[in-house]
Amino acid sequence: MTSALQPDADLTPADPAPDGRKPQNPATEDPTAEDPTTEDPAGASLTAQGPASEADLRPAAPPSVASRPPKAQRKPRVQGRFFTVPGQIVSLVVLIMPLLVALYMSFTDWSPTRSSLRDAAFTGLDNYKELLVYDDRFVEAVLRTLFLAVTSLSLEFVLGLTLAVLFLRTFRGKRFLFSAFLTPMMVLPVVVGYTFWMLFQANGPINQILHLIGLAGVEWLKSSNLAFAAVVVTEVWHWTPLFFLILLSGLNSVPENPVRAAVILGASPRQVFWKVVFPMLRPVVAVAFVVRAMEVVKIFDEVFLLTRGGPGSSTETVSLYIYKLAFNDFQLAYGAAAAFLTLTGSLIMVHLLLTPVRDQLMENGR
Amino acid sequence: MPARPLQLWQGLLLALMLAATLFPVFWLTMTAVKPPIDWNASPAVWIPKEPTLINFQTLFDPDAIRAYGVGGVSQAATKAVFGSLLASIVSTAVSVGLGLISAIGLSRYSTPGRATPLVILSGRMFPPAAIAVPFVIIFSLTNLMDTYTGLIAVYIAVTLPFSTWMLKSFVDELPREIEEAAMLDGKSRLRAHFTVTVPLIKGGLFATTMLVFILNWSEYMFAQVLSNTRLATIPVQLVKYVTATAGTLYGVQAALAVAAMAPLIAGGFFIQSHLARGLTFGAIKK
Repeated sequence: MTSALQPDADLTPADPAPDGRKPQNPATEDPTAEDPTTEDPAGASLTAQGPASEADLRPAAPPSVASRPPKAQRKPRVQGRFFTVPGQIVSLVVLIMPLLVALYMSFTDWSPTRSSLRDAAFTGLDNYKELLVYDDRFVEAVLRTLFLAVTSLSLEFVLGLTLAVLFLRTFRGKRFLFSAFLTPMMVLPVVVGYTFWMLFQANGPINQILHLIGLAGVEWLKSSNLAFAAVVVTEVWHWTPLFFLILLSGLNSVPENPVRAAVILGASPRQVFWKVVFPMLRPVVAVAFVVRAMEVVKIFDEVFLLTRGGPGSSTETVSLYIYKLAFNDFQLAYGAAAAFLTLTGSLIMVHLLLTPVRDQLMENGR
Repeated sequence: MPARPLQLWQGLLLALMLAATLFPVFWLTMTAVKPPIDWNASPAVWIPKEPTLINFQTLFDPDAIRAYGVGGVSQAATKAVFGSLLASIVSTAVSVGLGLISAIGLSRYSTPGRATPLVILSGRMFPPAAIAVPFVIIFSLTNLMDTYTGLIAVYIAVTLPFSTWMLKSFVDELPREIEEAAMLDGKSRLRAHFTVTVPLIKGGLFATTMLVFILNWSEYMFAQVLSNTRLATIPVQLVKYVTATAGTLYGVQAALAVAAMAPLIAGGFFIQSHLARGLTFGAIKK
């Protein structure tokens, strides 16, 4: 079964087969154990067997004191700084500084057409209040983005799980099909948006197929609801492969013994899947949802090329609205405030998504 | 679970899903080889009777398409192709280089003040449209607008978390004893990192490089807001073609889209066993 996951094993002989590399010795298995003060976000506690670790998504499990090596072997502290400082400087200069500027900006009434940022009046939380209380378009964009996230992630999950379960069976050409099913992920978002714009034209192939099966074609991109459906279809096409990939890797690392036991005890295949296998998949499912949720709230390129947020503002997502505020209307300060509100909301959302599975993640982290 | 063969309905379902997966790519590719008369025909042409490479030729010689009576292609895409190559290759190299050093530091040393995962996550969640705003302001002040230097700096910073955490997950899998054995042979710790650890994670290094390249190559928004006349990348050029003619240059646009997509599909094929790890920041290991 794992062969499906390593179709390129013979294509990259230089690869030291990380999949087959199991920790040789318990003392090295968990680097976090060596220094309880540090977090190990890459989930090093995971063995090659483990279904998943939430890795970066939470601080690592409390290190076990028993496996702590003698002091002499602990990580040298001082030299480490020299390794991480270059990367930190780059992030600080290029990413954190602009973020702080944007944060300051969001508390002013600055607009580049009127004054310089230094002269802009400090208006406190006015922008935020305006957004939340008076700006219906923002609130609608937020709700729309959430709705888009819920519908497309549910569909991606169902389709991805279906496909992953089909891949547990044996059939010819599996390696090739595995690659084929991953193709959409490699396509540039702008290209995805443009391609689906073509597909959804009134005289495009989707309507042609509808005609073939006896349905009337529709003007997909000219009606609010249909345009939204088109965005969902596009998003689902683009990212179902990621769910497929993650769920299949989860399914393949489900331990065999509980499954065998259930079979011996007379469970039907359906019961085995839903009562034994699926519960063990939950941490993997959580990772898939969190990773996708983070990305889908930022969705921009595909929608920009497919509908530009229209007709009207019926497919306008938060990112699209912020983009229009900043680069069409030059309301930079207001746009920055919208961005920070979105960020806060996203953080809360990811936290809530993680909470119900956190305990289970810890147990299954192994 | 014992592996069983597909039943008939499951085979059909698989075939249907495969068709849905490949159809958009098929359509785009077919459009790229359609002569102008087939571009927007009603009913739509699925497979052109007389496939042509004129669309690809037009990318480099905007006048080529005039022979078919089509105007409106004012710009060659040559500059955008070179711009994309330059920006993606340089930023990927620097990002993976810095990421490798950081990964070794995070994995092998205790580093003070390391970024917590939540900070990294929030960096990923911040809408790019909003980071773009301060970039524009700061870059205008420092004359970095519309320069490759500016765009490359942005790409490095944006992909650095990816390269760091992905590479760290590969370094973490190597037992430290291997380096310590090399040190017993008289190598310094630093040399042990680069002569022992790095060669052993070659596969991971390649996968990380490819993934970061895909991210940079696909990026649209930063390139769009930071560019004016001097800077061009393929996604920006594609949108230019679409907006300049309200999308009617189907064939030429599709040709550029295919040219942009082909290397990623080819490259992605080689790293598919590492894709899950890369896209989940190392949470899923295989």
